[in-house]
Amino acid sequence: MEMIAVKDISFFFAGSKLEIIDDVKFTVNKGEFVSIIGPSGCGKSTVLRIIAGLIPPSTGRVMLYGKEISEPNSKISFVFQDFGLLPWLTIIENVKIGLSLVDIDENAKDKKAMELLDRFGLSGFESYYPNALSGGMKQRVGIARALASEPEVLLMDEPFSALDELTAETLRGDIIYMLENKNLPVNSVIMVTHNVEEAVELSDRVVIMSQKPSEVKKVIHITEKRPRDKRSKQFAHMVDQIYAILAQ
Amino acid sequence: MDFLALLMLLVIDTSASWVRMFAALGLSILISVLVGIYAATHPRAEKLILPVVDILQTIPILAFFPFAILIFIAILPGYIGINAAVIFLIVTSMLWNIILAVYESIKTLPLEFIEISEIYRFDRWTRLKKIYFPACFPRIVEQSILSWSIGLFYLVTSEIFSTGNASYKVVYGIGVAFTALPALGVGAYLLGILVFIAFVVATRFLFFRPLENYAIRYTRTEPKITKRRYENILVGWISNRVQKTPAAILYKSVRDRTLRGGVESHIQRRRHIAASMEQTKNYWKIVYRIIFIAAVIGVVYIFLSNPTVLGYELQVLPALGASLVRIWVAFAVMLAITIPLCIYLTFRSRQSSKYMLLFQIIASIPATILLPAIAVVLSNYNFHGELVAFVIFVLSGIWYVVFSIIASTRTLPQSIFEVQKIFGVKGTNAWKNIYLKAILPGLITGAMTGIAAEWNASIVAEYFTTSGISGSNVISSVGTGLGKLLDLSLAQGPQGLGLMAVALLNLVVVILLINTFVWKRLYKQVSKIYGG
Repeated sequence: MEMIAVKDISFFFAGSKLEIIDDVKFTVNKGEFVSIIGPSGCGKSTVLRIIAGLIPPSTGRVMLYGKEISEPNSKISFVFQDFGLLPWLTIIENVKIGLSLVDIDENAKDKKAMELLDRFGLSGFESYYPNALSGGMKQRVGIARALASEPEVLLMDEPFSALDELTAETLRGDIIYMLENKNLPVNSVIMVTHNVEEAVELSDRVVIMSQKPSEVKKVIHITEKRPRDKRSKQFAHMVDQIYAILAQ
Repeated sequence: MDFLALLMLLVIDTSASWVRMFAALGLSILISVLVGIYAATHPRAEKLILPVVDILQTIPILAFFPFAILIFIAILPGYIGINAAVIFLIVTSMLWNIILAVYESIKTLPLEFIEISEIYRFDRWTRLKKIYFPACFPRIVEQSILSWSIGLFYLVTSEIFSTGNASYKVVYGIGVAFTALPALGVGAYLLGILVFIAFVVATRFLFFRPLENYAIRYTRTEPKITKRRYENILVGWISNRVQKTPAAILYKSVRDRTLRGGVESHIQRRRHIAASMEQTKNYWKIVYRIIFIAAVIGVVYIFLSNPTVLGYELQVLPALGASLVRIWVAFAVMLAITIPLCIYLTFRSRQSSKYMLLFQIIASIPATILLPAIAVVLSNYNFHGELVAFVIFVLSGIWYVVFSIIASTRTLPQSIFEVQKIFGVKGTNAWKNIYLKAILPGLITGAMTGIAAEWNASIVAEYFTTSGISGSNVISSVGTGLGKLLDLSLAQGPQGLGLMAVALLNLVVVILLINTFVWKRLYKQVSKIYGG
């Protein structure tokens, strides 16, 4: 079932003719994990922000269940590259920021936030400030906050790129585990990344974008079951194929 | 007086003031470069210079002006003496931030730069010319712009102040001109302000802008991470394939070892620097305490041994208390204005940068320039003197708070604004969890500098006498206040020196105490949470 439809969106700054993205279109089905990959500066983060309703597209529309998205709403949530935690709030207060639009009382919010922290292995850290935590833990808080309101769609902007490779690997493993066990209260995920292996490891489909003004070069389906063996022939083949398309 | 003659006169007066300003700026930069580089390269000197600069930059040195006049006039003949006193005063307002900028520029210089000078055996002069000076140039320019507007405040205030006593009067100067302008009518006053703004804007665009453009070539920029990252995808992909050959593997092990050595020694050196800074901090604490204890012992000793000084102290204490209350009430009003304004600009309209240049120009008009006009306009109200002092206090300090808040919120990452939108943080939730906490670091530094600016204004705000308006009368005066007390003791000539010294000592002690136990403590707590 089609959930999100990106319909011919393009983006340029007012007063400048320079197009950042040009007629980008793709769809995301219910239950799907989609990655957007492309050269740096190609506007993939802009595409994600347009889907989130943070930036209006210059032309084109983004639909969620057939309804146009014009501003951020509680059905769509976001995970930031730099974690986007408020440094002056404790971990639990940060997670509760994700419940701002949810109409429950303060006690229920506390309970809900504690549950999430527990699920992400952060219980005991609720009264810490973000700067006392490692990068991997910060991003767990970022993801917990994004999931707090039980959104339909989770948008992730290079969620692992500010982490060292070992930490990123662990966190990716956790996410795959939760996806497979239906532990994540989301239907679909859209992730922007520059890491080809990461995209192949996680996604059902990979949207490959071109240089500026960027458009969708190709969409690749990956049907193999998760967790995927990174050393398998098929995996290497898939990675090579995507590199080849990127280099074209 | 006809328009052209007045305009000419104003231009001459402003030019005279600007000559003082440029002389002071030149002198300040020269001293800063010498002291800053010396402090950054000599660990022993560093331990003495840093804490001293840190204390001096938070003391309202303008309050020392009456004292400086007496000293300079005693040394140098009248006209030269008063000008030297004015320039000295402006230097003391401009110097400290430039010294710190030079020090930080050298201290954060990548080790490679120093290593280059070692490898090629630069002599001292070449090292200064090719490495140190270019390294601190951008920040000197940046801080000079700030120093210039602080200096203007000192300039105008000291010039206005000098007209209070015929024997210490500066002959030409925009501050002098402003005391005479209210008598000539509203038009003349506005013309004076326009000429002043024209000079400010011209200096900004004809002097500082070219320097800023020139400084860009010396600015060190951090390599962009995002750009590198994509290169890494391709490089990583290619090198993955190359690394399979035995020669490559051998090469890799050798390279890794040397690389690691390089990185480690680099990290070690960085740690060493960090440790030495930590040490400096501890040392600073000790020096601070010693100065404080020495001051306390000194005061107690003088008191016990000398009943005249005890008499002075009894005069000073109520005056100091009155000024403190006045200044803190004005500060509370400032907060009531600046907090909503800054929050609106940074979070609601998201256009603080648009107003920045406008703010900078308005802010560089010293509040004391309006003093003669405010004194005349408010002359029919009750509590006239209190009202004048209050308005001048608010206008003197408010920009420091505004700039410091806006400067600190500008470094907030974009994602914080996006978090607010994505999760729909609104109303009291936003005020409590985002707005008020986001401006806190800027608010604290702004409070320290803003309150110091109020103290600076106090020598004219609390007691305004000038020969410009209606003879040599007292134009406005508060009941009692420290600024007033300093002025009155200057009028006594050398006999006033004792009272003045006691008053200044009290002022310095109170300010250091408040800064140490309120603002710096608060700032330390905040920066611990916010991550510096």
